[in-house]
Amino acid sequence: MFENIVDPTVGPGAGAQRRPVALADRPASLRGLRLGLLANTKRNAEQFLADVGTVLAGDYGMRVVLARKKPNIVETAPEPIMAELGEQCDVVVTGVGDCGSCSASAVADGLLLEQAGIPAVVICSDAFTVSADAMAYLRGAAGYRYVTTPHPVANLTPEGVQSRAAAAVPAIVALLTEPAMAASA
Amino acid sequence: MTSEVTDPVAQAKAAIEYCYEQGWTDGLPVVPATAADVAACLATTGRDGDEVISSQPHLSRSVTVAQAAANAIMAGCKPEYFPVVLAAWQAVCLERASRGAWQSTSGPAPLIIVNGPVRSRLGVNYAGGVFGPGFRANATIARAIGLIVRNGYGIHPQELEQATQGLPGRWSVCIGENEEMSPWEPLSVVGGVAPGTDAVSAILIRTCEYVDNRSTDSAAAVLTDFADSLARLGAYVGGAHSSGGLVLGPEHAQLLGNAGYSRADVQEWLFEHAVRDRSDMVAAGKGEHAVADADHGGPFRMMPAAQDIPIMVAGAANAAMSMVFRPFGWAAWSRQSVPVGYAEERS
Repeated sequence: MFENIVDPTVGPGAGAQRRPVALADRPASLRGLRLGLLANTKRNAEQFLADVGTVLAGDYGMRVVLARKKPNIVETAPEPIMAELGEQCDVVVTGVGDCGSCSASAVADGLLLEQAGIPAVVICSDAFTVSADAMAYLRGAAGYRYVTTPHPVANLTPEGVQSRAAAAVPAIVALLTEPAMAASA
Repeated sequence: MTSEVTDPVAQAKAAIEYCYEQGWTDGLPVVPATAADVAACLATTGRDGDEVISSQPHLSRSVTVAQAAANAIMAGCKPEYFPVVLAAWQAVCLERASRGAWQSTSGPAPLIIVNGPVRSRLGVNYAGGVFGPGFRANATIARAIGLIVRNGYGIHPQELEQATQGLPGRWSVCIGENEEMSPWEPLSVVGGVAPGTDAVSAILIRTCEYVDNRSTDSAAAVLTDFADSLARLGAYVGGAHSSGGLVLGPEHAQLLGNAGYSRADVQEWLFEHAVRDRSDMVAAGKGEHAVADADHGGPFRMMPAAQDIPIMVAGAANAAMSMVFRPFGWAAWSRQSVPVGYAEERS
């Protein structure tokens, strides 16, 4: 009856979610693998990832070979940083998605790395799972799994960050070694 | 039922409900748009409907002129408003902070300012009750921006949009500048557009707060009152400075103009005086940035550079009150106004 009403959502890219992305193959073991850390500019993000790296190095025999901070919380990481990570790392941990834009953006970073063949684990705070999931859907990876940590992260003390990072490690290890999709998209 | 199908009012309601069911509305009823409506909008601009006018690459989404037209109609715009909507959208996109604004927990609103003769032609209110409601052009041009974000970019509340509280009237803040009662050049001239030209400016804001001061004829006293509101601790979110701007009521503007203040003088005065003691910042738990280069004391300038304190004039000259507004992010304003482009020049 209303077929002559214009659909205002139809435009370039509106069907982007219909192009499914392929995720990277998971390694059998993490021992000896080169780990990259990709932080955003949110408070405590770099420290959180550094503490994760320390545990992964100490307990799982990984080597932290690269730590980078992307300049903009909205956009995905610039190409030069992505290229460095792709060339020098076997796996990457990225985050912390603890705001509206940066949670979605962290998932976008993770998926770009996955498409480049690098297993990636995204860390988001549990207040922003909806926007993280929405970005996974937009990018053709509905069901992409990531690690959550309780919100907020920005106001944690250094000791608090360390403890949170340690608590996140088992889930990070699981996502680096197990299928990264909750279900086939 | 037959009566529902043939009754034009029932049909109109059903079409509105249809739009709700598609998820196309901001919560209020929309005007269903047809291809003829879109064509009528395009005819006012002479632009190609398929022309892409903005993109959000991180979302893989772009917006075309035709999409903007459909959303403008849905917002309630007349086709002749459409060139103003396009200029407003371009002005919004010139704001550096607009990339992430629609997803941000801050939930900012575009403050849209219209200058030039187009205000009278379209009935854009710039006088009494300028922040609304009651004026179709103001209400629908602002609303069109929100619908373009929703339907063009696919950014929906509680999904990709993560506003913690948002702010009242997020998609309703479009004002004309009261050029006739301003002692200074139009804001669009500050924004680089020739005087007398129809133009739109946009600034993303997080709140508005009134300054009511009908008690003095002293310019310095009124400026002191403004500076106090501009220096409010709650608006400071960290970093080198806070942000602020003013929509001056005509009475305040003329008080300042008659006292010999140019717009730049006002900006400079506010930059110098919107200051907090660093100990205030520390007391509010916000000392991290403010004390980085000093001990716990001494002044902290809350405003960015003087030129980044946007100042305009709007409202009625019936009481001495003005509005402080709070730009989103640290980039203040692009200081680029956008000329309104009609398909053919009007006399």
